[in-house]
Amino acid sequence: MADPFDSALDLLRRLNPKHITKNLNALIGLVPDLTEDLLSSVDQPLQISKCKRSGREYLLCDYNRDGDSYRSPWSNEFDPPLSDGTVPSEKVRKMEVAANQAFDVYRELYYEGGVSSVYFWNLDDGFAGVVLLKKSSAATSKNTGTWDSIHVFEALDRPRQAHYKLTSTVILNMENTSDAIGTMDLSGNMTRQIEADLPVEDDNSHIVNIGRLVEDMELKMRNLLQEVYFGKAKDVVNDLRSVNSLTEVNRERAAHSDVMSAMLRR
Amino acid sequence: MSANSTAASFIENAPPGELAEVINDIGSLLDLDKLSIQEKVAPAVEKYNKEQFVTTKLPGGSDLVIVSSYNDLGDGRFFDSESSSSFAYDHSAQKASDVQSHPIEGEHASTIKSLLRDVGNHVKEHFPSLPAYGVYPADDGIAILIVGNKYSPSNYWNGRWRSTYIYNPSASTLTGAIAVDVHYYEDGNVRLVTEKKVNENLRSSTASAIATTIGNVEKKYQEELNRAFGALSEGAFKSLRRQLPVTRQKMDWQKASAYKIGQDIGGGSRR
Repeated sequence: MADPFDSALDLLRRLNPKHITKNLNALIGLVPDLTEDLLSSVDQPLQISKCKRSGREYLLCDYNRDGDSYRSPWSNEFDPPLSDGTVPSEKVRKMEVAANQAFDVYRELYYEGGVSSVYFWNLDDGFAGVVLLKKSSAATSKNTGTWDSIHVFEALDRPRQAHYKLTSTVILNMENTSDAIGTMDLSGNMTRQIEADLPVEDDNSHIVNIGRLVEDMELKMRNLLQEVYFGKAKDVVNDLRSVNSLTEVNRERAAHSDVMSAMLRR
Repeated sequence: MSANSTAASFIENAPPGELAEVINDIGSLLDLDKLSIQEKVAPAVEKYNKEQFVTTKLPGGSDLVIVSSYNDLGDGRFFDSESSSSFAYDHSAQKASDVQSHPIEGEHASTIKSLLRDVGNHVKEHFPSLPAYGVYPADDGIAILIVGNKYSPSNYWNGRWRSTYIYNPSASTLTGAIAVDVHYYEDGNVRLVTEKKVNENLRSSTASAIATTIGNVEKKYQEELNRAFGALSEGAFKSLRRQLPVTRQKMDWQKASAYKIGQDIGGGSRR
């Protein structure tokens, strides 16, 4: 019999991704033993909270959670407060602060709004982190959407360079409602991974390397999402039903192949 | 939520053509063998099959026939107007058996016969993949169902189109809904789910006029849907994330991080 964890992931790959959080909670209710594994490996739409110290919004995920509290990237404090919450070392926190500032610029350049948060944590042979970005379109429109980017990486120390492993997930949910269209829901998530060895001079290099990796990955994923959501999904609809009558389509196809074979004979 | 209702909600969510995989996964999670899990989810599977217009071939037949609540005779039997027969359907094995004669009778019998011909022609002309249709007597008239499926699991996608219409002769209306469900799951999980209500006044109540109305309604909807993909791509999608910054240049990370690094974040650094 299949491993229950694999079966849970397979199920989540099939069920409507729009309801990922509800389905994940139902799965955990069904098999409580899988709770930790599922929460740490399944990406859900990000929740937003407001930092009590700075007044700035930040994003919640499993990586800035300790018990029921979440750490703000702006203040490094947990909410609700924790006296012994896990925080990065001073060196890694310094990089985390710089990364949050750099990705704040990145967010404004590409998203022109939204919320970003970066969380780092220590590893024995380097450090790891997650870059989060979230943007929702104006709620007034009938044509709405939400984008969540979740980039999890490891930066492993090597002589004069670092080995980076990046796993990126984008959750993109969109909806179109009107009299003519009824309801149209186009929701989902896609994941991609890359690894790279890049030169490192100082801590600053990490921010530059991770920044470029995430930027290239998001460009690739945006193109991929465009292709799947607006190309592939539309093609399948038109494979299910043909706007033109099939007699006509077949006649045109036959005429086309006649022309082709006539050309080949020349 | 009980295990049974959770399992039922998962089955209700199953994408076109992937019900067997969803049932297998639930079986593995609950540590049940194939027979036990099938027994456990049988009511949910029956509901799914009827809602999704699951299709089957009758023994010896070559056309696909629909299983739905509109042609349900009870006790696991359904009828097919086209072949004037009834059959037993095993929802777990997805197999039809025990075909018996089942002539269509009643006030709508001749209209049903004409509709089968005209709707059948419409389906032949517009549903290229695994098409099926059914015309059945309904409470307030005649139910017309159309379904087309395309399964391509080796390319990680599957899709289903369902049309449901109720022709009401006394009101001379055609009401119902068109629903499309597409699943794409290579390195991800993307789902298109649509529903469009149909509410048409008929100018003429002949079978051919009804079939023409169905053709027009579906054509208009499909064209609207094709346009809606473009509207989402050009509208919501673009407004969420730009392809490149306004400057048309990628970010200068060296500058951003060199300028910012080491700077104290506390308080006033908000731009």
